[in-house]
Amino acid sequence: MTAMNILEVRDLATHFFTLDGVVRAVDGVSFDLARGETLGIVGESGCGKSVTALSILRLIPPETSRIVGGSVRFDGRDLAALSEAEMRAIRGHRIAMIFQEPMTSLNPVLTIGTQIAENVVRHTGVPWRAALDRAREMLDLVKIADARRRIEEYPHQLSGGMRQRAMIAIALSCNPQVLIADEPTTALDVTIQAQILDLMLELKEKLGTAIIMITHDLGVIAETAERVVVMYAGRKVEEAPVEALFAQPTHPYTRGLMHAVPRLDADAEIAGRRPRLQEIPGIVPALNRPIAGCAFAPRCGFATERCRAEAPPLVSTSAGHAVACWETARVLEAA
Amino acid sequence: MTAYILRRLLATLPVMAVVAVFVFFLLRIAPGDPAAIIAGEDATREAIEAVRAKLGLDRPILEQFALWLWRLAQGDLGVSIFSNLPVTRLIGQRLEPTVALTLSTLLVAVALAIPIGVVAAWQVRKLADRLVMIFAVLGFAVPGFLAAYVLIYIFAVQLQWLPVQGYRPIAEGLWPFVEGLILPSVALGVTYMALIARITRASMLEVLSQDYIRTANSKGLATRRVLLLHALKNAAVPIVTVIGIGIALLISGVVITETVFNIPGLGRLTVDAVLKRDYPIVQGLILVFAAVKVLVNLVIDISYAFLDPRIRY
Repeated sequence: MTAMNILEVRDLATHFFTLDGVVRAVDGVSFDLARGETLGIVGESGCGKSVTALSILRLIPPETSRIVGGSVRFDGRDLAALSEAEMRAIRGHRIAMIFQEPMTSLNPVLTIGTQIAENVVRHTGVPWRAALDRAREMLDLVKIADARRRIEEYPHQLSGGMRQRAMIAIALSCNPQVLIADEPTTALDVTIQAQILDLMLELKEKLGTAIIMITHDLGVIAETAERVVVMYAGRKVEEAPVEALFAQPTHPYTRGLMHAVPRLDADAEIAGRRPRLQEIPGIVPALNRPIAGCAFAPRCGFATERCRAEAPPLVSTSAGHAVACWETARVLEAA
Repeated sequence: MTAYILRRLLATLPVMAVVAVFVFFLLRIAPGDPAAIIAGEDATREAIEAVRAKLGLDRPILEQFALWLWRLAQGDLGVSIFSNLPVTRLIGQRLEPTVALTLSTLLVAVALAIPIGVVAAWQVRKLADRLVMIFAVLGFAVPGFLAAYVLIYIFAVQLQWLPVQGYRPIAEGLWPFVEGLILPSVALGVTYMALIARITRASMLEVLSQDYIRTANSKGLATRRVLLLHALKNAAVPIVTVIGIGIALLISGVVITETVFNIPGLGRLTVDAVLKRDYPIVQGLILVFAAVKVLVNLVIDISYAFLDPRIRY
């Protein structure tokens, strides 16, 4: 592990054991997160990005799922080897998480102040009163006005955007080294989305927290991430610095995602007309059967016999840019 | 909040009024001549007329009702036909054992059933959960009086740890008082406990799958705090509702349990009064039980507002 990386995920595999068989939700994913960096993980619903996040914190439902392989090294320690108690000391303290649904992620019967302060007390051991002071400080930090009153309030008294700010306040209350944000803005209005993203980036600068930004929204990636991992069917198909990814998306799936984003700029217009949005044909494959070749092959215009038979390895195409595709040369030619 | 409680308290008045009307006409809608029923099967015509006059049944019905209501408003529930003692005094004498039995049952049942239900939900589909569910099904299926006889046989007759039956007032010392209450409370509480444990488990299971529980776990909180604060407080409304409904069950259960354990409480008074057709006592008891029910409902309703801040009052 290099000292630069706060988190190193290697060949992570998380399976769900269902009545329909074993679902390979995460199927051998590797990536690094440098200290203070923002890494985007992007992909369609069901591609395994949320399960990857929950696996890092070992929060996947134990009745139905298990981490079956790989390792997660955080600050030099293998998280898989830790006891449940040691893991709990890391959650909310060194690695914190915020979730997609601000409406349901906060406890409806506890005050905002309690929900922030309990995290502070749990991990720093300060008295409750001091923790409430910290809660007020955190609400100021996430720009919730009138913090003194707000800590007494319950989640239903706050708007969606404010609740997500409160979630961020909880997550950052113990100065974690890593913040995992699982679709933090998906449930919010567009204007609120921008405010929340700006807030996260601002706090990241201020506190030096590394962020894993999980989203299906390439707009969010473009705005926040420094590096991007593209996931498809539980696997990593492409990884690149954000500029490189947008300048030269290389995996056919990444290209498909880009074409599915509406564009309003003049470049996109052909003969004065905006091109139709292109959707990716087909659907995400069922993950309860082993996939022999490239998981994207059935939906891919470039797919060959080899693609269907043999899974492509991740190959570096330029500095920091890697793609899992047999047909990279043809794809780039077609651009 | 105070205004809300006052408003709810006032709203109980119409309910109690309906109960009072019903109780009054109970005697009048009973088949046959109430005076003849009260006087007994072999009574002479003169005896029946005497009863009629004594009870005021020869006067117009509205006048009777007005008089009855007037007395009721002053806390006068009438006089027992057989013992000639005021009904309020009879009920007062029998109040302590029943209140003690009901409260101790409530305490035992709630104190055991909620932790049991929480553990079952936490350990869902594991051994502890299976055992709890077996207990819940059995406890719900076994009638209280059967449980009572089994408990008496084991703990009183065979092991001789506890008295077979009887009741010792609290004035005679705490231990004799408690000793006498243990078996009846457990016997009375088994069904109730099974019911609360089951609803606690079900309610907790639903809450434990909520997003905010995942949030609580992502904060690294102790399991105890996640279960007992984050989950249980959210699961509390259905549990409290069932506890309230259960109090009605307890009141009917008290009648049987007091008979089995020979406890001189309201249950026994009810049985005796019904058998002897001592209508004033029956009327008084119905009023008291109804008032308790209404009060319990009120307390439950008010508790919702404390448990869930989203409930507006």
